[in-house]
Parts: sequence; structure tokens; C-alpha cells
Amino acid sequence: MLKSANFRIGETILGLASLGLGLFIGVETWSTPPIAAQTVIGPGLFPALIATGLILVGLQLLCEAYLHRLQAEEFPELDWKAVILVAAAFASQLVLLERLGWIVSGTFLFAVSAMAFGSRTHLRNLLIGLLLTALTYLVFDYGLDLDLPTGSYVEDLIDLAGGSV
Amino acid sequence: MNMDTLAALFHGFAVAATPYNLFWSLVGVTLGTAIGVLPGIGPALTVALLLPVTYGMEPTSAFIMFAGIYYGAMYGGSTTSILLNTPGESASIVTALDGHAMARKGRGAQALATAAIGSFVAGTIATIALTFVAPLMVKIALLFGPTEYFALMVLALTTVTAVLGDSLSRGLASLLFGLALGLVGIDLQTGQARFTLGISELLDGIDVVVVAVGLFAVGETLFTVARHCFETEELYQLKGSKWLSREDWRRSWKPWLRGTALGFPIGALPAGGSEIPTFLSYLTEKRLSKHPEEFGHGAIEAVAGPEAANNASAAGVLAPLLALGLPTSATAAIMLAAFQQYGIQPGPLLFDNNPELVWGLIASLYIGNVMLLLLNLPLAGVWVKLLAIPRPWLYSGILLFATMGAYTLNNNIVDVALLWIIGVIGFGMRVLNVPVAPCIVGLILGPLAEQQFRRALTISQGDASVFFTHPISLALIVIALTLVLVPTVLRWRAARQASEAANQAANQV
Repeated sequence: MLKSANFRIGETILGLASLGLGLFIGVETWSTPPIAAQTVIGPGLFPALIATGLILVGLQLLCEAYLHRLQAEEFPELDWKAVILVAAAFASQLVLLERLGWIVSGTFLFAVSAMAFGSRTHLRNLLIGLLLTALTYLVFDYGLDLDLPTGSYVEDLIDLAGGSV
Repeated sequence: MNMDTLAALFHGFAVAATPYNLFWSLVGVTLGTAIGVLPGIGPALTVALLLPVTYGMEPTSAFIMFAGIYYGAMYGGSTTSILLNTPGESASIVTALDGHAMARKGRGAQALATAAIGSFVAGTIATIALTFVAPLMVKIALLFGPTEYFALMVLALTTVTAVLGDSLSRGLASLLFGLALGLVGIDLQTGQARFTLGISELLDGIDVVVVAVGLFAVGETLFTVARHCFETEELYQLKGSKWLSREDWRRSWKPWLRGTALGFPIGALPAGGSEIPTFLSYLTEKRLSKHPEEFGHGAIEAVAGPEAANNASAAGVLAPLLALGLPTSATAAIMLAAFQQYGIQPGPLLFDNNPELVWGLIASLYIGNVMLLLLNLPLAGVWVKLLAIPRPWLYSGILLFATMGAYTLNNNIVDVALLWIIGVIGFGMRVLNVPVAPCIVGLILGPLAEQQFRRALTISQGDASVFFTHPISLALIVIALTLVLVPTVLRWRAARQASEAANQAANQV
């Protein structure tokens, strides 16, 4: 009973998301001033079609949710705490990656997400994270000429150390 | 004409068989198998994650390596579904049914062997077929104008949506979301920026790789962490004889050939994909088998047939991809993105402008297949060890490599932010049972379809009836509509019958 009620909420979220995205694209397209370029079909037609589609599908999903015509589908049980932990660790990369660099922030991401998966060997997780990030840093920055960030703070530190020697 | 094809193929072998390219092919198949084996990583994600490795390589070698990764990931995926029962993509679900049952009975090694040899047989035959079908498709493609191309893309988009999953509205929501993501960036015809929200990094559009990695890797990781304390995995070690007995061979070889016969043509259709042929192969084998009661409990035919069909369709999918520039699976969509990254647009012109690349790639498929057979039969035990990586490390590693892949695309943090957002959306889609493939194919095909759409309407001076007056275009659109309407009507009738039956039952009580 609880499960199907949950699922109706899910269906509603999906419907609202489609509807919202459709409306957003529609309004945005509508309010963009037409461009002067001489084309038969402007840049607005295709977005308008997609917006219409999204709104229709959104309404259809809401209908399905409201009429509850689907066979009782299972809504999986979820460990929300673990999800939020991993999502937060990942989000921290947006701030940390370019400041602390790939090695430090990547190791942090690895260790936190391993913890969320129930691992309790924190020190070993940190070491493996360090090994993986250091290895990829070497391969990418020296082998493949791609730039994984060293980190602006780390660079400052290296400069400081270099300056004092 | 066939002589031309053979000459071109021969030239392709000259390109692919240089020690330098052979090395990249070997690296490709090894990495492809190794990453493809890991649970939770299907072929599409394998290709997306390994994309950064090829940056800085010249296109021909890069695509030879990609071909290896593509086939390798297909081989690796079957190992996972057989031993762990966690199919990495919908096409291996069928293999998992009986493959896992065989593993439970201690016949895992035989299941792996029949899958590997079947994949080799199917891959080789299907690559031969690809060699001759692709040039034919190019000839047909030259007859196509923008109108026909647009109709063809509509057909491809509809099949990807209508065939996968059991709810059409969910598939459509996923498809439209992908199409909407495809709108972001500068409009190619007028230069107008659309939906960039004032972020300059979005002017170039949203990268398919970010979306694929976000949905498959980040979304999947979030879903797995949410579920891991409720689920248990059973990994079966390989024991006993590794070889196929005479009986196994006898029961395998016909399913291999029949699976190939189903897989390649359906995969090569512009509306193909690999889900349908694997299911069809399973049903065919079950009907033809002398012991249908074994199906579901470890029948070797049920591994041999679908696995051959899966690999044959993987080769088939390359035909519309190379000849028409039309991806019909998530993996093909990422391959197309890889081409675009090198400024190459697959399609009829590719065969004229870049024969070295096309034929080198096709020739390397033959070579890669042989390498994969050699890698997979004796080394099966090594790949199985990869399955035993503790889950916390595996998924944390996936997150790490996902971040790295997104960051190294353009060396900016915006892609990582996008990856996070798409990952969270992917988690939601996974929870709500929304298929992911329509979104990815929609994202890559959307902008191409829009271009053809506007070109067609520009030629017809705004008259939208062209899509219905050109015969080829009309036929394609009718097929697309049939594919959507028939299952819907059937489902509706089934639901009505079920409810009537329920009513009658209730009345009788």
C-alpha cells in the first residue's frame, strides 16, 4: 500500500518535471526576440516543438499518476543518507578540485564515497585514493598531455617551498 | 563493385596491421574487456570513460582503439552478466537469465566459453556482412535529401523510445529531455545562443560524454549506494574443466549462427538496437530446442544464441553509424560524439573523404575479434578476479574516473558541475524506472535532426507537407508511427481484457 502511494508521488514528480521544463523552454523561446537573419525557419520552431512535447508528456504522466492506472510497480527502498553523502562529496569537487588539486580532492572523494558504501577501513581507502589519483595525474599530465589540476593552493605551496630552499 | 570493396578492405588491413595500430588495437580490446567486466559498467559507459585516453592521438589510430574498446566491452559485459547476474545493459539481460543459472550449477566456465566463441563467430560473420552492407548503404544514402534524413532520424528516435522500457510516456519524457539538452548552445544556422543561461561554457553545447557518464556512472553509483544495504550479490567462481565438451559444442554452434542471422540485420536497420535480436534469439532457441524445460535453468543454447545475437547486432549498429551518421544505441551515440570530437561527421561522405579511417576501422574489427578470442578463452580467470573488487572501491573509483573524464573534456569545472546535475537527474530516472538510452540518443540526434528539418523546410519554402509527399520520407514516418501505435494499442487491449476478466471474476464471487 505504502509502496504504490510512493510510486504515485514519483510519477507526479516526473510529470511536474516534464511540464516545468516544457514551460521553461516555451517561455524562453517565446520571449527571445526574433533574429533579423533571413531564414524560412527560425531558431525558435524546434524548441517550441520540444516544449509542446514535454508539456503533453508531463500532462499525460500527471493523468496516469492521478488516475493511478498503472499496475502496482515497485518503488525501491532507498538509503537516503548514503546518497546524500556521496552527492555532497561529489559536489565538494566543484569547490575543491581547482584549489586543492586533483590528488587531494580526488582522494577525499574516494574515501568519503567508500565510507558511504559501508567500508570502515578509512586509512586504507585514503591510501588507495591517493594511489589512484597520483597515478592518473602522472599518466595524464605527463603521458597524455592533458591537464588534471595541480590546484592553485598546492601550486602556491610548491612556490613557497621552492622559494625558501 | 564488390572488387572495389575488397580492394578497400585490403587497403584497410594495410592500415590496421601496422605494428603501431596493432598495438592500439590490443590496448583497446584489453581496456575494453577490463572495464566492461566491471559490474555496473556497460559498453556505453566503457566507451565514454575511455574517451579521454584517445585525446591527442591521430584519428585513425584513435578509432582503431575505439573499435577495440567497443568489441572488448561487449565481451566483458557478458562475463559480468553470467557470473554476477548484474547485466550492464539491457541487451545482456537475456544472457544473464541462463548464463547465471549455469554459473550456479558450476558450469560458469562453459557459459563464458560459449559466450566468447559465439561472440567471435558472430562478430566475424557480422563484420564481413558490415564490410559489404556499409558501402551499399552509402549508395542508398546518396539518394537521400534532408527530408528523408529527417524522417530517418524520427524513425530512429521513435524506435529507441518505443522499444525500450514498458511505459511509453516515460520513454518519451527521457527522449524529450535529451532533445531539450541538445538545444543548449549556439544555433548553427543563425548564430543565436539558446538556453545558455548566460554561462559562456554552454555556448558549445552540452557534451554527450558528460550526459552519458552522468546518467550511467554517477546516477548508477548513487542508485547503487542507495540500494547496496538491501541487496546481496552472489559471485560464482570458476571451477572444474574450462573447456566445452563435445555435447556443448553440438548444442552451441547452431544457436551461434542463428543468433548472428537475427542480430546483424536487425542491428543494421536504422531503427535497430540489440534488445530485440537478443530476445528473439532466446525465443527462437527455446522453440527449436529439444529440451525447452531447461530454459531458465541453465540451457547452454540460451547463452550461445543471445550472446551471438548481441555481438552481431553490435557490428550491425556500425553500418548506419558509419554510412548514415545515424546512431541507434547509446554506445553508438557516444561513438558518434567521439567522431565529432575529431571534427569528423560520419555519413556517406566519410567513405570518400576518409577511406583510410573507415576501412582501417573495419579491418581492425576483424583483428580485434581474433585478439578478443585469444584474450578471453585462456584469461577468463583473470577477468573474473576483477569482479571481486570490493564494491566501495569499485564505485568510488568509478566516481573518480567520471570526474576526471568530465574535467579533461574542456579543462573546466563547468563540465563537472553539469556532470553532478545530470548524475542526480540520472539517479531520479533510475529510481522512477525511466529508460536512459532515449535521452542520450535524443541529445546527439536532436541537433542533427533539427538541421535536416530546417534544411528540408528551407528547400520547400516552409511547406511542411514535404515530409509526407516524398515517398521514402512518408514510408519512414508511417513505420515510425506504426512502431509507436501498435504496442500502445496492444497494451491498451491487454489492460482492458485484464480488467474485464477481473470484473467477471468479481461478479462471479
